[in-house]
Amino acid sequence: MRNIFRIMMIGLFGIGTASGQITKVDQEVYGMDCAPCAYGLERGLKKMDGLQEVRVSLNDGKAYMGLAAENGLKLRSIQEEVKKNGFSAKKAEVTLIGNATKEDGQWYIETANERFSVSQDTPKALLQKLTVGTATISGTVQDEEDDNLSGQWSIVLTKIE
Amino acid sequence: MIRKIFPKISLNISYLLLILLLAVTGMAMAQGHGPLYGLQTPTLAKGGVDLNVASMSLSTEDETSYMLRYLFSYGITEDLQINLTTPTMIERLGDAPRTRGNSNMPANGDIEASLWYRFFSNAFGVGKRFESTAIVGVSAPTDDVRGQVNVGNSVHAAISTGYASRTWYGWIGGGYQYYFKKGGEQLGDLPYASAVVGYRPNIFMGDYPKPDWRIFIESLAEFPGDNKFEGQMDFTDSRSTKILVGPSFLGLYGAWGISFGAMFPVVQDLTLGAVKERYRLAINLSYWL
Repeated sequence: MRNIFRIMMIGLFGIGTASGQITKVDQEVYGMDCAPCAYGLERGLKKMDGLQEVRVSLNDGKAYMGLAAENGLKLRSIQEEVKKNGFSAKKAEVTLIGNATKEDGQWYIETANERFSVSQDTPKALLQKLTVGTATISGTVQDEEDDNLSGQWSIVLTKIE
Repeated sequence: MIRKIFPKISLNISYLLLILLLAVTGMAMAQGHGPLYGLQTPTLAKGGVDLNVASMSLSTEDETSYMLRYLFSYGITEDLQINLTTPTMIERLGDAPRTRGNSNMPANGDIEASLWYRFFSNAFGVGKRFESTAIVGVSAPTDDVRGQVNVGNSVHAAISTGYASRTWYGWIGGGYQYYFKKGGEQLGDLPYASAVVGYRPNIFMGDYPKPDWRIFIESLAEFPGDNKFEGQMDFTDSRSTKILVGPSFLGLYGAWGISFGAMFPVVQDLTLGAVKERYRLAINLSYWL
């Protein structure tokens, strides 16, 4: 009985790892011009489950976020929070652990909640390093319309660990 | 003339600070993060709350008013905001000129509820955005008679458009306040326009959470109509023209904001019975919850 429980736990843990997650986001924010704007965004982001550290820079126009080791946070939720504060979320530099797959010659990296389509703008040398299965990657997620976020993203890879 | 005005202004600033201090000890507060007098465009975040307390003074040739104003604002969405403002009159004017305190505060002792709708917003760069906001409001007076005229309820509508960045700001807008008839008498209406230019010097470009200061040059053009009395001739086309210009300063730190400024009339082409102004002063404290 104890062994069955252990196997179940390993199975569950395994599923969690395979499903993947975002670990770091540097989100570009347009239209944020004042200290209370930064304060409001910082406070809104800090309320989100899964965010471990948040720093907002007015001069860079960015929100720098470190995510908890175990989190279910979506990039979409972060960008929606930016919009809720009256600003526009643009490109995001992310680091994530995901499951890499290849369909009809197109690479995808999936976390538990979102799918990142690897852009053709990714350097070929990096694409050649990509293999099917769990991958830890960094890249720049392209801007999507704030009113039409679907959780499907295009990413230009900058690093594969 | 200037020597006569400035000692009184210093005295009034002391009064305003004292009144503000007394008010602040009892409550938290706030206003927008734009100009002090002119129309502006920013709206709160969805679910955001802003509390303000303002201390305002208006001086005519014969008397000076002192008023505290409290403003509560709530962001229904990032583009839609409701406001409620109530006054505490310390000293009323016997003969008050028709004007507004700022974009969401009446200058006289009115209670006002308003709705701001930011119908256009284009954030096109780091810290940069163009936006336009429409305002509608309803007011109820806390006094029965203003300048020997019965005061009725009023409605206010305004529209403004502007540009914000980390360095430069600019807003232009126009509005209209209409008072309803009461007891056969009616306060004159108030069409007005405002233009504001703002600048943040390099020295205050420190990144959040460092303090953030900016300076505005504000201007107002007001065209108050004459009061109307039942049974008397209607001077509908008779309007005064006032143009006021002045500086204001805005300091922001985290969730707190303070702004203060003054307006001085540069043009006063008044109809018979209209009140000549000397200056307006205001201090506003804000707190974003």
